[in-house]
Amino acid sequence: MTRLPPLRALATCFALIALFVTVDGAIHVAMAQTPFGGPRPAPEPQVGGFVGWLLARQSEFYREISATIRAAKSDGSAVWTLLAISFAYGIFHAAGPGHGKAVISSYLVANQETAWRGIVLSFASALMQALVAVAVVAVGAWLLNVTAKTMCGAEKAIEIASYGLIAIFGARLVWTKGGAFISALQADRRQPALAAAAHQHHDHDHYHGHDHDHHGHDHVHDAHCGHSHGPAPDELAGPGGWRRGLAAVLTVGIRPCSGAILVLVFALAQGLFWAGIAATFVMGLGTAITVATIAVVAVFAKDVARRLSGGRDGGGALIMRGIEFGAAGLVLLFGAGLLFGYIAAERTTCL
Amino acid sequence: VALALRRLALLLPLLLGATVAQAHPHVWISAVSELLYAPDGTLTGVRHAWTFDDMFSTYALQGIETRQKGVYTREELAPLAQTNAESLKEFAYFTFAKADGTKQRFEDPVDYFLDYNNSQLTLHFTLPAKTPFKAKQLVLDVFDRTYFIDFQMADKDPVRLVGAPEGCKMQLQRPNDGSASAQALNEQTFASGGANANFGMMFANKITVDCP
Repeated sequence: MTRLPPLRALATCFALIALFVTVDGAIHVAMAQTPFGGPRPAPEPQVGGFVGWLLARQSEFYREISATIRAAKSDGSAVWTLLAISFAYGIFHAAGPGHGKAVISSYLVANQETAWRGIVLSFASALMQALVAVAVVAVGAWLLNVTAKTMCGAEKAIEIASYGLIAIFGARLVWTKGGAFISALQADRRQPALAAAAHQHHDHDHYHGHDHDHHGHDHVHDAHCGHSHGPAPDELAGPGGWRRGLAAVLTVGIRPCSGAILVLVFALAQGLFWAGIAATFVMGLGTAITVATIAVVAVFAKDVARRLSGGRDGGGALIMRGIEFGAAGLVLLFGAGLLFGYIAAERTTCL
Repeated sequence: VALALRRLALLLPLLLGATVAQAHPHVWISAVSELLYAPDGTLTGVRHAWTFDDMFSTYALQGIETRQKGVYTREELAPLAQTNAESLKEFAYFTFAKADGTKQRFEDPVDYFLDYNNSQLTLHFTLPAKTPFKAKQLVLDVFDRTYFIDFQMADKDPVRLVGAPEGCKMQLQRPNDGSASAQALNEQTFASGGANANFGMMFANKITVDCP
């Protein structure tokens, strides 16, 4: 393994930390609050001012939603207020520990995805979440008039399906990225024996910081070190990548937000179902903006990591494959953790 | 590199702040609790009356058939009350007791029913203590540690001691409502991701009963 100079090594570590903080923080917080059963010692997570403020805003917005829907029954203009509140609520809500942004960010990091695609995926998954919420309430409450118990049973089933899908999706990523990582490891080990010409050319690329998505030939291939089990990054970012992106959207977007379900049922009972639907989509828009922001930050952080590690012979590629493998592992861990109850997601509305 | 580092350093607290944020409540409960004592001064159980906010009440009433529209009798609400009583078990009824520092457990609820007034449902139920106990100091916490439900003890007469030995004194410590931390917000807490206050205490209702 090529040794990194201390500063660069430090910087790379720092970029890595920034990268995984999104996911890691969410895991830690979530782990601290599960399982639910049984009396437990009082929780003492040390979070404060800014988070407290976030929570207070969210609660306020959410509480105002029901009052505004009531007001809209007699005063149509209150619908605009409802939409504004829902939008703000969506923005703040997505800043919570939802698994959605963690999965999307990890996916983007695991693959050679662009920030633009991160934005598109964030909006698509938020849109799908809104659609599912509307579908659940439209079919369950409006068409079939089932009880809340039945509806939350459906919610739970969807939830389990969603977590299972995340786990499968993560397992697939791990399989692909694990292969690439192992190949990079092997390439790294053979490094000293190989002629340096190809690598120098590569270094050149990196120092100039060009967009590597299009011409980033990998050491894995340069070194002819056998077969990478996964597609090369540029293949992933190609047309087929959208199909994989769609899988990410599906796994995340299939689980509706509990808040949206409550709002929709409430709006339906007030005879203002359409207002509830509008509020749900605007909420989704707000959520998408927050998730997209976090996704872009994740992509940016990976980019920084790539630049910092890129100048090194072999080691750079190894670090990048390692990061991707790690991110893929996180998706799998998330899915499994959610599925087996080690990670608490937002609860369903069953009470 | 230095520039990139500085940029990352600026981003970190933002990321941390965004990810450490916890769930926020979707359900609000206004609670009245009675502590039930036997003549010999042992605590036999806790009787709660939990009033849900109107949005959750409406949600819970979805699909329940009634003879008269908008009027729900105790009988019509009985299946829902049973569902509530059963599903609350998973959360230990959000009721956590300690007698002189020792944890106490509760049996499944009895005498539970729902009533509906002013668009709000109220769930009444009694939690019998698994083993009735005596305590010089009883601490009863009522809260949801995942903060999906926001518990507030009622403004008026929130806790009653029923048949408590003479000289017992009750004290209620209400949760901070978040506005306190909003006021505490300043540049510094923002920059540090706000890693100082104790989140858990923000939403716990702590009932303390000291008996001679």
